[in-house]
Amino acid sequence: MKKKDLDGKKFEELMNELDSIVKELENGDADLEDSIKKYSEAMEIVKVCSDKLNNAEEQVNKILKSDGTLEDFNVSDEPQEEEE
Amino acid sequence: MQDEIKYYSVSQYNESIRRFIDSVPECHDVHIKGEISNFKGATRGHLYFTLKDEESRINAVMFKSAADKLEFTPKDGDKVLIDGRISVYTVSGTYQVYCDRMVPDGRGDLLKKLEELKKKLEKEGLFDAAHKRPIPKYPMHIGVVTAPNKAAKSDIISTIKRRFPVCQVILFPAIVQGENAKDSIVSMIREANDPKYNLDTLIVGRGGGSIEDLWAFNEEDVARAIYNSRVPVISAVGHEVDFTIADFVADLRAPTPTGAAEMAVPNMSDLINTINNYQIRLNENIYNKIKLLRKELNNYKTSYVLSNPLATFEIKSQKLDSYIDRLNMYINNKITLDKTKLEHIKTNHILMHPEELFIKNKNSIELYINKLKLLNPLNVLSKGYSLVNDNGNLVKSINDVKINDELNIRVLDGYIISNVKGVDKK
Repeated sequence: MKKKDLDGKKFEELMNELDSIVKELENGDADLEDSIKKYSEAMEIVKVCSDKLNNAEEQVNKILKSDGTLEDFNVSDEPQEEEE
Repeated sequence: MQDEIKYYSVSQYNESIRRFIDSVPECHDVHIKGEISNFKGATRGHLYFTLKDEESRINAVMFKSAADKLEFTPKDGDKVLIDGRISVYTVSGTYQVYCDRMVPDGRGDLLKKLEELKKKLEKEGLFDAAHKRPIPKYPMHIGVVTAPNKAAKSDIISTIKRRFPVCQVILFPAIVQGENAKDSIVSMIREANDPKYNLDTLIVGRGGGSIEDLWAFNEEDVARAIYNSRVPVISAVGHEVDFTIADFVADLRAPTPTGAAEMAVPNMSDLINTINNYQIRLNENIYNKIKLLRKELNNYKTSYVLSNPLATFEIKSQKLDSYIDRLNMYINNKITLDKTKLEHIKTNHILMHPEELFIKNKNSIELYINKLKLLNPLNVLSKGYSLVNDNGNLVKSINDVKINDELNIRVLDGYIISNVKGVDKK
């Protein structure tokens, strides 16, 4: 699978794929060529997943305003209020 | 001294206590909540019962004039709010509450409504496990429907940020208590389902409060909005002990808002560990596989045949030799055998002395000749016998001839011609 295809996938899909390849390699008795192919594929997924986690900037939280637009907001900017 | 002590009757005492109590303003206007027990409706329309809570009880009476105004029929177990006064019933020397007004305790009423709604929705299948969608394990976009200025919101958001900072939170501010709460929550759940937000998970909830405060999450409309949500919903209402309808219908119930955030997202470091672990397993697997194959390969390499490539040839060549040997031996045997036979034939007596065979044959020929000589009819003639022919036929009887036939008589040295003169039978 090409890296580009992997980048487009959801993180969860990637993790599931990774899990199933690892299990397949561990349980099956695929021949060497196939194993190496799967191994490379899994390593590619590992890399994409790690990159997604490591390189992703911290997401800015949004709040839906009454006019229907989203506005950035940060929890720590606000005074903490006690629940009534 | 005895004369100085004044004794009062029971009635007098009870009466004075009643008067004392009636003079206390706090007893004129009391508001009590409790549960009805030992309820008795007297024939004349007065109601007698005991009002209790977990620890104590008080007798209560409601006279017909007040009872007629009741909007419900009280019974044992009802939780009620009572307005009235406290006074003493002198006959039995007990104090009791005289009820002017009594209404069902709203909370008890709410709980009853809640039970009914719960049963109805359960029957409809809204709580069925089959309808529960799995909560995505690694959500990148989470929606939160809650009050915008409450601790619950910051609990949820800060927990998500701490555990899984790559996840974006979109807050859908809702009114979470009071009259407008129900509609506000429903419209925000619907809004959050708009595909443009691309949400993986939706957290719906609020912090702790009284049952009245949490009530919006027991509303049927809210339950249905959660049920119909395309995005999987985690409910997070109040504290651990609080269960609302929203909790039953949600795909996952969290005990608290913070708990919801913890359930919604993985811990980043755990996740990185998981990925590293996969990597380790992959490497180990492929390493072991290659190691195993290398070992197998080595086994082949060191095998006798591969390390002595001529060996197979040698074995075959050896076999061929043995065939050749066997063939040679066979042929030789055969030749020897035939030679022996030939020698044997060669040494045969006859072959060694062929003249014997000639002599032997000559002798037997002579024997035959002699035999033939004996049989030669001419030999008989030499002894004086003769052969008589009549016109070419050998005469053996008198019947073979007629008178005057010319007979040809063969004797040893010639023929005698004669005529038949007569025959004489012997």
